[in-house]
Amino acid sequence: MNKKKISLILGLMCLLLTYGIAVQIKTIGGTGSVMSTNAEENQLRDAVLKAKEKYDNLYAELENMEKKLEEERTNATQNNTELTNLENAIKENNKLLGLTDVTGNGIIVTINDNQDIPLSNWFGDPNLLIVHDTDLMNVVNELKNAGAEAISINDQRIVTTSAIECDGNIIKVNGEKIGVPFVIKAIGLPESLISVDRFGGYLDYLKEDRFLKVDVQRADKEKITIPKYTGIMKFEYAEND
Amino acid sequence: MIIIAILIGCIVGALIGINAPVIPYTYSTFLAIAVVAALDSVFGGITSVLKKNFDLTIFISGFFCNSILSIALTYLGQKLNLDIYLAALVVFVGRMFTNLTIIRRYYIEKWTSKIEKDDKELQQ
Repeated sequence: MNKKKISLILGLMCLLLTYGIAVQIKTIGGTGSVMSTNAEENQLRDAVLKAKEKYDNLYAELENMEKKLEEERTNATQNNTELTNLENAIKENNKLLGLTDVTGNGIIVTINDNQDIPLSNWFGDPNLLIVHDTDLMNVVNELKNAGAEAISINDQRIVTTSAIECDGNIIKVNGEKIGVPFVIKAIGLPESLISVDRFGGYLDYLKEDRFLKVDVQRADKEKITIPKYTGIMKFEYAEND
Repeated sequence: MIIIAILIGCIVGALIGINAPVIPYTYSTFLAIAVVAALDSVFGGITSVLKKNFDLTIFISGFFCNSILSIALTYLGQKLNLDIYLAALVVFVGRMFTNLTIIRRYYIEKWTSKIEKDDKELQQ
């Protein structure tokens, strides 16, 4: 047995070994907690992860089906002007409702808690140093006022039925939990949208009086993508006149 | 030579592992026990290289058999609601320490004999 062969095999074994270790570390790190020896807790975590996998699979299937439907619709309306017009109207309305992914120029606002000031050195209200639901609401409002056509917070699309609510130490948008840093993307005329960063605006207040970490980026050249609203929009009480 | 091969293997394996997709959480226990079994085999391999009785077939079959048996034991333990994998863990880690002792003794003896030799040369 020559030494070359031995070292090759040993190296291969070590490759397999470190591969396993790295994957394992990644898997455990992804669950966001330390390894638990409690069987019941493990089972619960399993159940959650399984449900999430199932949801992801079903969601992918739904997207596939929607694409197919879209194709069918295009095929069916290809040779009929009236139907094509209706189809375009549906597309336009879906875009306005926020049911399609949209891309365009705009700005990206990132807001984060101030974690640099230790609380022992801070004599004010500690609530001032963290981002609240009302802050996001005000920023979204200013963006809308500046003519934003589509807005998302951490990839949660803001639509007509969206609510931004406080839920303990996290914030819920569209019923989905989101956390810091909050990345607010808005599509619109960048020159107009950038005015939210003006002196005396709400972002200025967050920066100067609340010491939050605010970053505003213009996307003039590159286009930003805002995902569609994934929930169900249904009116039960409002009827057409 | 062997140490270089092991180092390269470790680095490449870690790089692949970092870029690989994660496995479902259910199977992470199996992977963990397989990793410990493989680690034990590698320690055993290094020891046998030092003892100069390294056999490739024994080494490879041990690497895979240990991993598969420990995975099977873990699965059985899950079905019986008994943590059998702890037994495998104790055996593997115990053997790892034994092998580490052998490796350590080998190098220390080599070192001390070299020092003694140098001393004799100096006296002469």
